[in-house]
Amino acid sequence: MSLPLRALFVAAVAALIAASPAAAQNQRPPGDGVHLGVASCLGSNCHGAVSRPPGARIAQDEFLIWKSKDKHAKAYLALTNDVGKQIAANLGLKNGAENDPMCLSCHTDYVAANRRGPRYKLADGVGCEGCHGGASGWLGVHISGVDHAANVAAGLYPTDDAAARAERCLSCHIGDGTTVDDAKRAISHTIMGAGHPPMPFELDTYTAIEPAHFVVDEGYVTRGKKAPNDIQVWIIGQAMDLDKRMAEVLDPANAPKGANPELVLFDCQACHHAMNRLQWRPRATTGLGPGKLRLYDASAVMTAIAASRAAPQAVGPLMAHLKALHQATAEGGGDYWAAVQRQAGLLRQDAKTIATAAASHNFDRADAKALADAIIAQGGEDLDYSAARQETMALSSIVAAMRALGFADEGQAKALHDALDPVFDAVKDDQTYAPDTFLQALRQFQAKLPQ
Amino acid sequence: MIAKPARFGAAGLLAFLSIAFALQASAQTPQGSPGVRPGTHLGVATCLGSNCHGSVDRPAGSRIKGNEYIIWSTRDKHHNAYKVLTEEPALRMAKALGLPDAVHQKLCLDCHADNVPVADRGPQFHIEDGVGCESCHGGASGWLGVHISGATHPQNVSAGMYPTEKPVARGERCLSCHFGSGDRFVEHRLYGAGHPRLRFELDTFTAIQPAHFEVTPAYVERKGRITDMQVWGAGQAVAVALRMAALASPKLAPHALFPEFSHYDCQSCHHPYDPLHGPRSTVPGLAPGSVKLNDANTLMLETAAARTAPGAEQSLGGQMLTLDRASNQDWAVMARDAKPVEATAMNLAPMLAQREYSRAEMRAVAGSLISTGLEEGGGRFSHAEQIAMALGAVRSAMISAGYLSDGQAQASGTALNEINAAFPSEGTLRADAFVKGLHDFQRALGQ
Repeated sequence: MSLPLRALFVAAVAALIAASPAAAQNQRPPGDGVHLGVASCLGSNCHGAVSRPPGARIAQDEFLIWKSKDKHAKAYLALTNDVGKQIAANLGLKNGAENDPMCLSCHTDYVAANRRGPRYKLADGVGCEGCHGGASGWLGVHISGVDHAANVAAGLYPTDDAAARAERCLSCHIGDGTTVDDAKRAISHTIMGAGHPPMPFELDTYTAIEPAHFVVDEGYVTRGKKAPNDIQVWIIGQAMDLDKRMAEVLDPANAPKGANPELVLFDCQACHHAMNRLQWRPRATTGLGPGKLRLYDASAVMTAIAASRAAPQAVGPLMAHLKALHQATAEGGGDYWAAVQRQAGLLRQDAKTIATAAASHNFDRADAKALADAIIAQGGEDLDYSAARQETMALSSIVAAMRALGFADEGQAKALHDALDPVFDAVKDDQTYAPDTFLQALRQFQAKLPQ
Repeated sequence: MIAKPARFGAAGLLAFLSIAFALQASAQTPQGSPGVRPGTHLGVATCLGSNCHGSVDRPAGSRIKGNEYIIWSTRDKHHNAYKVLTEEPALRMAKALGLPDAVHQKLCLDCHADNVPVADRGPQFHIEDGVGCESCHGGASGWLGVHISGATHPQNVSAGMYPTEKPVARGERCLSCHFGSGDRFVEHRLYGAGHPRLRFELDTFTAIQPAHFEVTPAYVERKGRITDMQVWGAGQAVAVALRMAALASPKLAPHALFPEFSHYDCQSCHHPYDPLHGPRSTVPGLAPGSVKLNDANTLMLETAAARTAPGAEQSLGGQMLTLDRASNQDWAVMARDAKPVEATAMNLAPMLAQREYSRAEMRAVAGSLISTGLEEGGGRFSHAEQIAMALGAVRSAMISAGYLSDGQAQASGTALNEINAAFPSEGTLRADAFVKGLHDFQRALGQ
């Protein structure tokens, strides 16, 4: 990259960071350099080992895990298989999804051609630098064996930091409009209508099921990496999900067009349910009458629960703003969208307050138990699918935290883990989801919580 | 329209009130429909004399069935329309809507009973009778005397009886509840609260009600010969006109962020999230993921019009396309673009109500319905549902006209059962079974 171009790019990234306070706090790298390609990382002494070499401070099998188990490695292929072709055809993409920057921006480590190194391949899908950042600036330092802070200072993306990780993952997993060179990570109902699968996400659970190619051990911590517990990762992920969804509401691109609201902002199952399923019930969080769509709010509800322990003073305002947001969609007058946006702006502030509080809150045994109980109580309250799915993943995060923090011994952790099976089964499919089955599974899980 | 002087003989105050109501009602009557002149509603009990409509079997030599009341009270759901308001699902719905109950709500009673103003109710009137005789045939105070006296049907009608035999008039009356007109409309909030979906096709629903009339030579002599094809076509035209009127109605305009969702095809949203197998918008210019207006009646009307009003099919298709595209724009544009569709439908209604179809034409209509169904492969539920009912109407018309041999009638009946069985439960369609049924139906009609 020529110098003036690079300066321009750095300025652009700086502007992005400024626009995203959550990221700014987390010392986002100064610039995302040239992407060198997966092949640059998989030396057998580096991240390409088959198993952990004796005495190694990292597992070194990161490439193998990614390649063999991680769907990110197959993200590009999804653009070219039958489903991908059909979606591209439905969208009228004449050159196919594999040549469309919008699709590539999340299905690969997409950067513009002038930032691709000689071993860079789009076909690698979401490779190392898709998450860890273009390595041209930091690979030399990184190989030299410096500590994590030095890598980050050179441009490695701090995925160990929960907020930074949320920022990066959510940029695709909700499609938050982040631009990468000439491409925009933007999901719309048009894309969903063309056949794109739904995109459930919870930061802690998805870190685990990716599966993670890192192990938090002593070495991990001594290298200077942050090791937020699973509860923190969950809360920060939810708060940032809320923040980003509200930013979508504020985005002029998502303003209602004629009679059509941008439907991707709404809870999928508010519409996509069988007609013989009578699912409406009064919800204290929305106050909406029957037959209305509701904006997706599962992350707001989860964030409120989290705040009850980490930032109790933030719960009241959050719930008030959430209800006002829903009310404005249904009852607002002529300037209803401005009213919706006003509440969205307030919710973004609430989300940031709670994410910050959660990052420094010392979650103890009582917190973990109280959070699990509150989630289960909420499960009995909402009964709708998207909330149930988030409640399930939240419990999974709490169980992981209880085990890691020693709030549950191995036997208790195993029992809790097993008791989650029926809970996950209950939310496997939105069409077969039955609230009663879900509630029963929740209660059986609750009985296993250590007192 | 002012009530006939004969009514003044009834009772001073009542007659005065009935005039007031008649004025109000005629103001709401869609243009082109025969005048509705409801007098006082005397109640079901007034009609069920054993010499009248309350006999168990057809009396010997009677020119009518005579057992209309028995059919209605034992087999017709209209009879239970009020009762369902007292049952658990209705109570749940009322609660969801923030209403104390359903049985005292105008919103519910207007279609679940013969809900005329209290002043227009005679001594034997019971709201609990549900959708009784006079809900459809009109308040009888003005015409019951003439009717009992053995007057001709036109005399009855001119005395105020509603001409339910006329396809357009029947369509208007049935659809005033089965789709909605004036104050009556099942908004999406009612569906959200649990109201069943309204599905309707005039000829099929006349048959499955079940009809309490029989088209005999005596009937034809009194009321004229009306074919299933005419009832189907006119029913579709009225349905389209009412849909368009609803689209343009300020009462059903968007509220805050939400349009009135009942204008749209239910399955446009309520399909399982099965990305590549769900219904997809096929309207040129509408992006995937757009919510689509319910155009099943328009599709049927195009099919019916194709052989009746040259050019109407194309102009209707073009007008509907404009309307579909308008759904991406301001609601005012949508309301504006609904007008030409409504005008075309209202123009077609009387033509279709009188249309005589030859054997070849009936087969052509069936062929056109079948090929639409096969093209879509059962992918559009709302279309498939109307196609199934339309084929039933065409088959009935062919049988009545003697266009089908016994073998063809039987085989097409079996195929129609197959088609109907492809809809196993509300809102679901087995596409494979539907397609197979269409093929079998086509085969059954032969060459």
